[in-house]
Amino acid sequence: MRFRGGKPMLHSLLAAGLLSACVEDDSPGTGDDATVEPGGPATAAAAPVRDDSLEPGTLGSVRAIPVVGWSGPGGRPFEVALRTRDRESGHARRFGTITLRTTLRGGTPDLVQYPCTSCHLGRTVAMKDTRIGDAHQNIQPRHPALLGAVCSTCHSPSAVDMLTLRTGDRVDMDQGYRLCAQCHFAQAEAWASGAHGKRLDGWQGRRVVMGCSDCHDPHRPAPLPRIPFRAPTIQRGGGHD
Amino acid sequence: MDRPDRPGSGPPPAEASLLNKPVDRRRALTVLAGAAVAGVQALNACRPASTLSEEQRELKLLAWREYIKGNYRDMTEAERAETIARLERQALVERGSAVTIQSTGAQPGVVFGYAFNISKCKGFRSCVEACINENNLDRNADTQYIRIFEIEDGVVDLDHADATFQHEVPAEGHFYLGTQCFQCADPPCVKVCPVGATWQEPDGITVIDYDWCIGCRYCMAACPYWARRFNWSAPEVPVPEVNPNQHYLGNRARKTGVVEKCTFCIHRTRQGRLPACAEACPTGARVFGNLLDPDSEIRWVLEHKRVFRLKEDLKTEPRFWYFSD
Repeated sequence: MRFRGGKPMLHSLLAAGLLSACVEDDSPGTGDDATVEPGGPATAAAAPVRDDSLEPGTLGSVRAIPVVGWSGPGGRPFEVALRTRDRESGHARRFGTITLRTTLRGGTPDLVQYPCTSCHLGRTVAMKDTRIGDAHQNIQPRHPALLGAVCSTCHSPSAVDMLTLRTGDRVDMDQGYRLCAQCHFAQAEAWASGAHGKRLDGWQGRRVVMGCSDCHDPHRPAPLPRIPFRAPTIQRGGGHD
Repeated sequence: MDRPDRPGSGPPPAEASLLNKPVDRRRALTVLAGAAVAGVQALNACRPASTLSEEQRELKLLAWREYIKGNYRDMTEAERAETIARLERQALVERGSAVTIQSTGAQPGVVFGYAFNISKCKGFRSCVEACINENNLDRNADTQYIRIFEIEDGVVDLDHADATFQHEVPAEGHFYLGTQCFQCADPPCVKVCPVGATWQEPDGITVIDYDWCIGCRYCMAACPYWARRFNWSAPEVPVPEVNPNQHYLGNRARKTGVVEKCTFCIHRTRQGRLPACAEACPTGARVFGNLLDPDSEIRWVLEHKRVFRLKEDLKTEPRFWYFSD
């Protein structure tokens, strides 16, 4: 028998003491009547229900579409999550019923002006590369400007609701990763393989990953600085530990 | 203790069976415990009936039965279910907190591994926050399993790294590196435990039986990574903030005088989910997966990225790698 623990000695002493203190053995009491029913009446009110919005049990509710052109390690297909447009606020990002409270600050602003064709219809309001219109003052085109790119490099003037690839193909806004991957192929490979990008799933089963523009504002991709969560108060070598 | 084959449960008095039969220590203790319970009841019978309410009586019995139980590893499935039922009941009656404690075992063909991208981490400490909430860490002592170090570019020197930074991050000219329990393949903490209260599970997670730990803290001295934390006082978690999804070997309620540590969120990862830190990380710096699955994300990182581990020369074989883009 393996030796595990010093506590039993204490048990025996305690038990022996109790035995000698009480000579009359109440034999019915030694049996099962002390067993507690787990489902017994609750004497205290049950705790309030925890916010389970982060629990992946709700992953089934995430709206996601299969990724085209990329696959995970071993050729496993994966999906890119679609942000739902309702009830987004602050730093929270909503995907179906999953709300992520933490995400990169400075992610894409909500596409409040979508669909683009609500203004850019016909020739009434033409998309120009020369300047950003008053309606889009929230856009800081730092990323395209650094690259020498203009609006029409990614946005198709003739189909503004779509994105234009270098090949001339037009893709849906939800497939923005295809646009980014044209230059950032190393990142795209890491994204598909699990080394880049936020996962909304487990390590087993279905794989759902957030899209590029859920964290990075395409016009200004670097995440903004923020104040971190509180520092630890217990330090190694300081105090007890 | 309800087993019919054990001495003491039947008519012969407990003491007699102890004296007449050769019994191992655990059985002897069980018998003595039964007798002790009887003793307590007999003592109570001499006192006014109102001294102990029904609830107090129940709690005393629960506490006693918990006190004499065995090591989790030696328990049968039935014994595990019994102790879990007692612990859940204790949590409900004592603290008013309805919890579910699992005893989910390791999945076959799974060994967990972790990779940390030091070029992605921005030092936000979202993982620390998630870890505290998920694992019911002591809010009073402010226990934290994860440490994020701010290190100047160009060196990996943890002696001169700052884990207490509290300014806007990421800071210019610095990178960030997080540590936690590395679930070593050859864990020194397990070797030094004098009572076998901590061990490595088949999926590589080193766990602690909090009810078997005697609080000697040898494991803390043995760990080269300062991954373990000691409860100098009873951990306090406000009831509304308690995570009710618990595991016997993981985030269930701890007590004074026992050691605890990161378990890769054993209650989540054994169900195929990610650890809370990986799920909370907004930058995707944390990669988690099955090392035995050649098509897992963690294997891709190990095969395609330049990785390193901390204090590799100690040969503890951490299952926690660092890499950069």
